[in-house]
Amino acid sequence: MIVGELSREALTGGLADGGLRLRTGPVVTRIQSRFPRVAEGVALHYADYTLEDTDGFADFHVRIAPPRSPRRWLKPQVYFHFDGASPFLPLPADQAFAMLEWGLNWCVSHHCHQYLIVHSAALEKSGCALLVPGAPGSGKSTFCAGLVSRGWRLLSDELTLLDFDTGQVVPLPRPVSLKNESIAAIGQFAPSATLGPPVHDTVKGSVAHMKPPTDSVRRAAERAPPRWIALPRYERGASARLTPLSRARTFMHVADHAFNYDIHGRRGFELLADIVSDSDCFEFRYGALEDAVASFDSIAGAA
Amino acid sequence: MSSPSALRWRSVAPGAIAWREWDGEYVVRNERSGNSHLLGPLAGRVLEVLLETDRALSVEDIVTALGDELAPPDTFDPHPAIDVVLSEFQRLGLAEPEKR
Repeated sequence: MIVGELSREALTGGLADGGLRLRTGPVVTRIQSRFPRVAEGVALHYADYTLEDTDGFADFHVRIAPPRSPRRWLKPQVYFHFDGASPFLPLPADQAFAMLEWGLNWCVSHHCHQYLIVHSAALEKSGCALLVPGAPGSGKSTFCAGLVSRGWRLLSDELTLLDFDTGQVVPLPRPVSLKNESIAAIGQFAPSATLGPPVHDTVKGSVAHMKPPTDSVRRAAERAPPRWIALPRYERGASARLTPLSRARTFMHVADHAFNYDIHGRRGFELLADIVSDSDCFEFRYGALEDAVASFDSIAGAA
Repeated sequence: MSSPSALRWRSVAPGAIAWREWDGEYVVRNERSGNSHLLGPLAGRVLEVLLETDRALSVEDIVTALGDELAPPDTFDPHPAIDVVLSEFQRLGLAEPEKR
């Protein structure tokens, strides 16, 4: 069964009671919450995702819940609970769905050490994966949303999982997190994209999520070998420009953006070095999404 | 402290170093420190020379081992550059001077 097959009552009730076991790529998360914003966000963004049996195994057990204090009523807040603990400070209740998303990222980045985890978007075309590692503000998610809107398969927006045995990207397609000007930019660039309501005044400014394409969710079991690595940099008004980047410098950049490179020691080094060896590496500056997408469509077409 | 030129140098145990080279640039992981480093062509080749031998090498030995890879002596004196490389290797824990 997928989320979209549940009635709104069943979805709300499932989240409020025992929780729903949501599969995202290789991860199953049991999500509990009585917050309407969580139910609305799950219904909108996860409609195509598989629900596992309520008695089945879940990798993570999370709950989005109000505090046990008057803050439940006065300027309401929300906590992210993970296995009974609350690893983060509370946020305003209107950020409940964003907090769920950030919390799910935290669950994966801090626990899925069977993979090398890179803070990177990953997309697939022609059977090959493009990795887009980048710091916040680099334009990574905007670029990712732009490519997804033009037919690239979303493998991940935030957390790229790399398999140690094969070197392939293990898809973890989840909603694309857009911030500030990017929300309107994607709204204009891809009018048919499904965007959730923006939430303002978060620590990241205004945030809205883009629903992953159905095809990307359905093909979440299809892994892809990395073929290109592009370090993005958004510059207002700049024309798209791809500049080759040495593999050694690319390696250092990707290692810097890996959550658990140090944990894996030599194994992480060898995996990353193999991936960089097999990839074309670029710095990529862009100011307009149309140009950016065209540049990478051209590269993928030539592969 | 002695200048690097006056000393003989060993890399840390080869098993403690993982490295790759692409187009003359190197990435190196030092298992002892857990750190990874980006090395330029000269530093990378000096490390390779140290890793390939089981004896301590002087700067002159390293210059000899690199031979024709270095620019002609009348245009480039490699000794000061290798001194700098070895001092940096010591700081990073990639090589150390032999104790006398």
